[in-house]
Amino acid sequence: MAAAAGRYFCTAGRGLEPFLAREVRARLGATEVDCVSGKVFFSTEAAPGELRKLKSGERLFLLLKKHTPLAVSRNKGKMLHDIKSLFIEEPKYWQDVISTWRNLHGCEGKKDDVFQENPSPLKRKSEETDTATKRQKTEQARETVPEECQAEAGEGCVVPEDCQTESETSLEDSAKNSGEKAIVNEQLNFSFRVSCRCSGAIAKVLTSQEIGRAVGVALMKQCGWRADLRDPDLEIFLHLNDVHSVVGIPLFRLPLANREYIKTAGLRSTIAWAMASLAEISAGAFVLDPMCGLGTILLEAAKEWPVTCYWGADVSDSQLEGADVNIRTAGLMDKIELLKASVKAVPLPSESFDAVISDIPFGKKFKITKDIQILPDILQEMERVLRVGGTVVLLLSHDLHKRMDSITKCAEHDSPDAISDGTSETTTAKALHADRNSSSLVNGVEEFFLSSRQTCFESLVLDGVYGVSLGKTDAFIYKYKKISTAGNQ
Amino acid sequence: MKLLTHNLLCSNVRGLRPGGGFPLRIQASDVCVRPVPFNAAFVARLVPRLRWAALLEAAESLGHPSELPPEPAPDYEGDETFLRRVHHVLLEVEVLEGFLQCPDSGRQFPISRGIPNMLLSEEEA
Repeated sequence: MAAAAGRYFCTAGRGLEPFLAREVRARLGATEVDCVSGKVFFSTEAAPGELRKLKSGERLFLLLKKHTPLAVSRNKGKMLHDIKSLFIEEPKYWQDVISTWRNLHGCEGKKDDVFQENPSPLKRKSEETDTATKRQKTEQARETVPEECQAEAGEGCVVPEDCQTESETSLEDSAKNSGEKAIVNEQLNFSFRVSCRCSGAIAKVLTSQEIGRAVGVALMKQCGWRADLRDPDLEIFLHLNDVHSVVGIPLFRLPLANREYIKTAGLRSTIAWAMASLAEISAGAFVLDPMCGLGTILLEAAKEWPVTCYWGADVSDSQLEGADVNIRTAGLMDKIELLKASVKAVPLPSESFDAVISDIPFGKKFKITKDIQILPDILQEMERVLRVGGTVVLLLSHDLHKRMDSITKCAEHDSPDAISDGTSETTTAKALHADRNSSSLVNGVEEFFLSSRQTCFESLVLDGVYGVSLGKTDAFIYKYKKISTAGNQ
Repeated sequence: MKLLTHNLLCSNVRGLRPGGGFPLRIQASDVCVRPVPFNAAFVARLVPRLRWAALLEAAESLGHPSELPPEPAPDYEGDETFLRRVHHVLLEVEVLEGFLQCPDSGRQFPISRGIPNMLLSEEEA
């Protein structure tokens, strides 16, 4: 590692790791990029101001240690000893860590220098306070840890840190107490908290709570720091699983995914950014989200690629109102225009957009059964307004994803450039016809459109599918490119 | 609604002639002008995408005679005066309240708080 370069890792929602890996290279000139499930490790010389601009990650950490997974034994004591040994270091080690972290952290605007804070006469009998602090810590740990475990239970939970924030908030009252009782004993004036996440084999032997407490006690003994779960100066993050043992310090108090410019997020900001990043938005481009909702995708895109014209359409007044407030709050009125219109009848000319990006909500917020039938209508309109060479990026729920596969397989049948797995094309095409028949039975009026649509999607060529997690559910980002079909017709 | 948006919008009432439903006539009751930072290269990129006659007509109808030429000059990229005029008409003039009217069917689309409502009923679509 070069002297000036720091080694970091950033957590990411499941499926977004490749986006984050690409982003750290592009934005930070990162090297030694190592992508694992839920995390991206990298080295960069970039300043914290630059690091903070990362859009596809959740939380960014200064990497302290990264080791192979701990050997799991049934002996809890031995395992705790092994874990604690990760933290036993020369005093200079922790001084250096604190000083590095301080340099990075200083740029966040948190001015209070912890070594100078509390010049107050709040001295009390240390014995009493000690006990109080300990009791508090234990109580808080008890309350915090189950949340952590929950987050861990579903290994890929997108935002485990959110759970933490909630539990911290609920602890506000007790934390106030601890603040009052805080002492300025020079041994105890630097506060910390250990956040432990534990999964895989080790989680079967020890809980995050047990590990967190053991590490906390070890650090208190070694460094003389004070435990403060509510508002610590420093957070020590420990993640133990079957892949690695990682120790880090978060650089920023809030997750990167919390955007200061988004008032009300609809779609998760990281996923909205990832979708926009696939759309190949160039300067002067026209970009449309025909089902914009609260406009999250447009906001993310317009912040990152500002020399572009964005339009958002929706049928819902309340969504448009929310989008309007979001656009104003973000100061993006120059860039984003809204329309009330249906995605099935977009009031915009054919071949006029360079990119169409949309979160197709059906199957998440609404009943799928009927709405799923209009997926071909939606695609047809998107294909129509897109110029040749343009890009469509869609977020599809699991059910829509299956439906989409059947529709586009049909298109691939005719398209020589399409990516085809060569299996059961006839079967899926047949299934598609069966679907069409059933939908035309439901609504006779649609029959004409349905039959005229048979050859519609041959100009949309699949250019990538990315599985991502929306927290409780999975979803898929689909990217298509529009090709010229003039020669085929 | 900026005039850039108007330059794209078309009515898609069922049964219009091909290419019909454009340009929508503007009847504005509230128009505002909001300064937008000027970016010459950006505006220059927009020019070839515009339907010029529709832009001129829209600007006239809003009482913002654009001082724009009947057609962009061949060397407009370097003409800052021209680009600033386009920028103003296209991005700074906004219709907040009023109606858009389809030139072919006569269908009216209300504009409310700057957002045109282009939604059609089931029968119209």
